[in-house]
Amino acid sequence: MTQLILFNVFNGLIIGAFYALMALGLSLILNLSGVINFAHGGFLGIGAYLAFTLMPFVGFWGALILAPLATALLGIVVERVLINRLYGRDPLYSLLLTFGLAYILEDGTRYVWGPSTLPFSVPTWMLSPLSNEFFFLTGYRLFMVMLVIVVVAALFLLLGYTRLGMRIRAGTLDLETVSVLGVNVRILRNLNFGLGIFLAGLAGVLAAGMLGLQPTMGSTLIMPSFVAIIIGGLGSLPGTLLGGLLIGAASGITVVFWPSASEAVIYVLMGLVLLVRPRGLLGEEGRF
Amino acid sequence: MSGPALAAEGLQTYYGKSHILHGVGLEVNAGEIVTLLGRNGAGKTTTLRSLVGLTRARDGAVRIFGQATTDWPPYRIAGLGVGYVPEGRRIFPNLTVEENLKVPVERPGEWTLARVFDLFPSLAQRRGNKGRQLSGGEQEMLAIARALLLNPRLLILDEPSQGLAPLVVQEVFRVVATARGSGISVLLVEQNVRAAVAIADRAYVLDDGHVVYSGAAADFARDEARVRALAGASAEDWHQPGAAAH
Repeated sequence: MTQLILFNVFNGLIIGAFYALMALGLSLILNLSGVINFAHGGFLGIGAYLAFTLMPFVGFWGALILAPLATALLGIVVERVLINRLYGRDPLYSLLLTFGLAYILEDGTRYVWGPSTLPFSVPTWMLSPLSNEFFFLTGYRLFMVMLVIVVVAALFLLLGYTRLGMRIRAGTLDLETVSVLGVNVRILRNLNFGLGIFLAGLAGVLAAGMLGLQPTMGSTLIMPSFVAIIIGGLGSLPGTLLGGLLIGAASGITVVFWPSASEAVIYVLMGLVLLVRPRGLLGEEGRF
Repeated sequence: MSGPALAAEGLQTYYGKSHILHGVGLEVNAGEIVTLLGRNGAGKTTTLRSLVGLTRARDGAVRIFGQATTDWPPYRIAGLGVGYVPEGRRIFPNLTVEENLKVPVERPGEWTLARVFDLFPSLAQRRGNKGRQLSGGEQEMLAIARALLLNPRLLILDEPSQGLAPLVVQEVFRVVATARGSGISVLLVEQNVRAAVAIADRAYVLDDGHVVYSGAAADFARDEARVRALAGASAEDWHQPGAAAH
């Protein structure tokens, strides 16, 4: 029994790490630009499929690096051409735009790569369990968790210790003052969007290795990511990280006792958090 | 240096449909401290926002260091060497003191983190504290220090003494004088009329979006009736029942 719970909690945390990776990107974009990026899942799908296409040429490791970068580049172009026109307007406009974009990206992948599930092969040594005792722990899962830890640490270092990061954090509360201090906020928002989409692309590659490729993979992952942001608290990236891990663990535990409720439990958790602490676990007071 | 640091003429600025500035013009010569006075709602902050590119004037022209900057975005104007200390300080509450000071773009010049901490020892002591943990005076110092790190040739301050204790106000004016001493031109909006005209070379008075006075600050300071009329926004208003508050 203990092993079963352990297995599911760990499994849940892995899924939670995904949500967190995706939600961190969403959060970055929401915090600085006030855009709720419904197309985030679409970009995740693009990242996964690009990795699939690149892999025969550059191998798994090459695809793991290049696919998220290419996705980020696409994000930068989309922000430059479409999204940046809507800053300062009613959030409804950007909501509608990204909602439409989500469909375009998803149907685009369906058109290019076909509607059926495609296999995504990771290096074979990653597929075997680490030991008999930890039969559930394959090398790939461990690798995913490590990679997420490294990437999240790098993200927090970037935000905490570079001028770019300080400007992004300053801009989340007062972009106007950042601009009078000589910072080109158009470029700042553009780079920040690219950074968020990079995380989506990376989450896509990782998801592909675990679940295979489906055009709908992004849209199934996006709702839990929003839930992670709300539980963690709007405006707080550590909160988003915590929210992602929490909902992953919660749904992992629920699988053991009541499998059919494992998806619903994250919304129940969100409801409870909102009742007790409306701004989310680590949210800034009075921000929303 | 040839020509004024800043010259604005005929500024017409609106917020939505309300017409705030009706042809405001002013000049700041190189090395000068110029103060812009006026009652609440006269259009002082709007004038500054038009100068730094935050609220574009619909008509009129701004030249800064010889460049026509009327339609420039704020970051380009700042890039010319225009430091702006906004009303209410607007420091970043979620960043530490030191991080606040790293937000401005790095323009080469004599102002460095070390020099700024020299000028504001209390900020040096609190370099690791978040902006929201600072007192009003410290926040003002931080906002000025932040603008200085842009290595400005022109410093624009919006009511730096607002809400500060008298001793801290003295400190703020000392810093403004220090800035000018290092060759920076200053445009100063102030409620504290007496302190402002004492430090300034020239003064403009704004009323209802029009410039109603411009001249040497010393002349203005001698005109006790005018000083009272402006300074009277606070204590002296008690003796003038019915004075139209703007």
